[in-house]
Amino acid sequence: MTRPLIDCSLRAAFGSEPPGFAAVCHRLGYQAGALGMRCEQTEGLRTAHGFSFGLCTPFTKVVDTTLHGWGEQDSRPVSEMLLQAASGLMSVHGRAAGGARPLGVDYVSTLASVLALQGAIACAVGQLRGGRFDRCDTSLYAAALLAVGQYLADATAPEDAEHLLPGRLFADDQPPFVSADGVRFELEALEAGPWLRFWEAAGVAREVAGAGWRSFQLRYAKAIAPQPAPLLAAVAALPYARVYELAGESGIALCPVRTLAERARDPDAASLLAQGPWAFSFTGRPGGEWPATAPGKLPLSGLTVVESCRRIQGPLAGHLLASLGAKVIRIEPPGGDSLRGMPPMAGGCSARFDALNRLKMVIEIDLKSSAGQAQLKALVRDADVFLHNWAPGKAAEFGLDKGDLLQVQPALIYAYAGGWGSDSDAPGLPGTDFMAQAWTGVASRIAEASGARGGTLFTALDVLGGAVAAQGITAALFGRFVANAGGAVYTSLAGAASLLCGDALEAAVRGEDLSPNVAASAVFATADGLLAVDCSRGQSRVRLSSVLGLPIAADFDELAPQLAQALLAKRAEDWLRLFEEAGIPAALVIEDLSRLPLDALASRSMSAGAYAQVNSPWSFT
Amino acid sequence: MQIAVTIPTILRPLTGDQKQVTAHGRTLAELIDNLEQFYPGIKKRLVAEGKAHSFVNIYVNDDDVRFADNLDTTLRDGDNVTILPAVAGG
Repeated sequence: MTRPLIDCSLRAAFGSEPPGFAAVCHRLGYQAGALGMRCEQTEGLRTAHGFSFGLCTPFTKVVDTTLHGWGEQDSRPVSEMLLQAASGLMSVHGRAAGGARPLGVDYVSTLASVLALQGAIACAVGQLRGGRFDRCDTSLYAAALLAVGQYLADATAPEDAEHLLPGRLFADDQPPFVSADGVRFELEALEAGPWLRFWEAAGVAREVAGAGWRSFQLRYAKAIAPQPAPLLAAVAALPYARVYELAGESGIALCPVRTLAERARDPDAASLLAQGPWAFSFTGRPGGEWPATAPGKLPLSGLTVVESCRRIQGPLAGHLLASLGAKVIRIEPPGGDSLRGMPPMAGGCSARFDALNRLKMVIEIDLKSSAGQAQLKALVRDADVFLHNWAPGKAAEFGLDKGDLLQVQPALIYAYAGGWGSDSDAPGLPGTDFMAQAWTGVASRIAEASGARGGTLFTALDVLGGAVAAQGITAALFGRFVANAGGAVYTSLAGAASLLCGDALEAAVRGEDLSPNVAASAVFATADGLLAVDCSRGQSRVRLSSVLGLPIAADFDELAPQLAQALLAKRAEDWLRLFEEAGIPAALVIEDLSRLPLDALASRSMSAGAYAQVNSPWSFT
Repeated sequence: MQIAVTIPTILRPLTGDQKQVTAHGRTLAELIDNLEQFYPGIKKRLVAEGKAHSFVNIYVNDDDVRFADNLDTTLRDGDNVTILPAVAGG
């Protein structure tokens, strides 16, 4: 197991972080360890409204990083649930989940921990290249907004903007499907043909299967996938074994919604936890030659990344590296990526595509041709990173695998952002978000924690996987400058999943059951709009009872029904003002994403372009 | 036979920015040939080797032609054809 930050340490006031930062602090410590760092307890870095840490390496000055809650100079109490509410994440999840509600996993905290550590390591890389970069700031809220960036683009596009609200569709009409013997399962089809064959074999009329496909194929973009009743009924009448047979015969992929306990029994589960979500290797062959240009204002400026990725995970990784200053050259097939034309459009390009790719330079190359392969090699010769997410086996078929490209550029970091850990661990399913959620136990965990039937149609693993890939690449670049050798880093949706549910998965590997922390907090209707109130702390419950003139409740279950009734009396904004004065953690639930740019705090993290663009989550000084 | 065809933004440079055009054809294949006569270049954006591109959805009155007779889907006077780029997966 290669760990690129060996001999480095992370100093922080672990264990005395402010409320709302426990999960992020814990995840940071875990990743630091998996990257080879020692975690050192330093009370001096204790802060009241954020979490600060120092990245110490033998080769650089200390990089001081602060992860704020809502943002710098905003001391309002923060929590995972409130961040999901105020960023629109709850609402994207709620489009198919039957209403705005938390995902039930520490999603924002996990994503923010990845970004914070990535920012710090990028600073160290910037220092190794002669820049200053001794301070990085980011926030939990910036991470939450990054997560909804593409949905926000769709909701604020100038032409045919999406207007999808939570709670307008029945959760039971959405995948996962359920068989006659009660097995919940996800289907995956990337083409209409197999989908049609499957449903015809299950006894569904063609046109009904077609109506299902129209909704199903757009679920990655819209986070909804309502299915016609005859489809749901057709599989509900068949035992799972028969559904499995039909899927095999039709060429459609099928994955049961597995529990974390099942996932924990997979051979790769324990090793993935020990290794972390990245697999690094360095060639040991000194490369030596890299651009000597001093970086500019951003820590990775002057570095070049060549990216050949489709869809979400890989392009987001490239977007994050570009946000850190790297020059990202995106390879697209002749005629351009077909996703460019997907409505809604903004300035001649799909808004959601632009949200992930706007910072890149594009070159069209036919990678199937030998001329195209040579062209790619020529680009890689002058690059620092090559990132792809090709289907397994493609790199070898193109003659563009790790060995081929490291021969061309020995100092290269060869990065792969895939679906599964490695070929030997792959379950033989397409490496797409909802397959990965079902396989890894994430879907089951979300179902258990949020009362849903399956996972989330918010592309949770694509986004987290993209951040993990960019973070792994940044750590590999650090390793490259230190070891003076090129190498490789492989990340996957499955790795992102093990990071997201790390504690529960670790418990499951030990044979224990760590029940989800169903937060004592919830979403309430008011006279106007939804309000998220976090009552996990006893103190908040006492204050809440006092503000509302209610008897002090013993626990949240007793308080919740009274609260639901009482909050109907005023508008959400009025309650929020009262709660803020009383120090009760609360936030307005953003239901309509197009309203997000009107929010004073959110708008600070956005730029008004043809659509609302989420800014880089980092700032450097 | 008059068929109204809704053109997605990405193809509007080919139709002089028109969002909706009319064309003729007894089948979808004929309709596309007819469109090509007035808006050269559109056919190759829709079909290759006798099949619609996988990232182009074509609906006749809301029904995806992949679930009917593909390019052989028959058209009737007054039908509405909608072209919609869509890519499955993520």
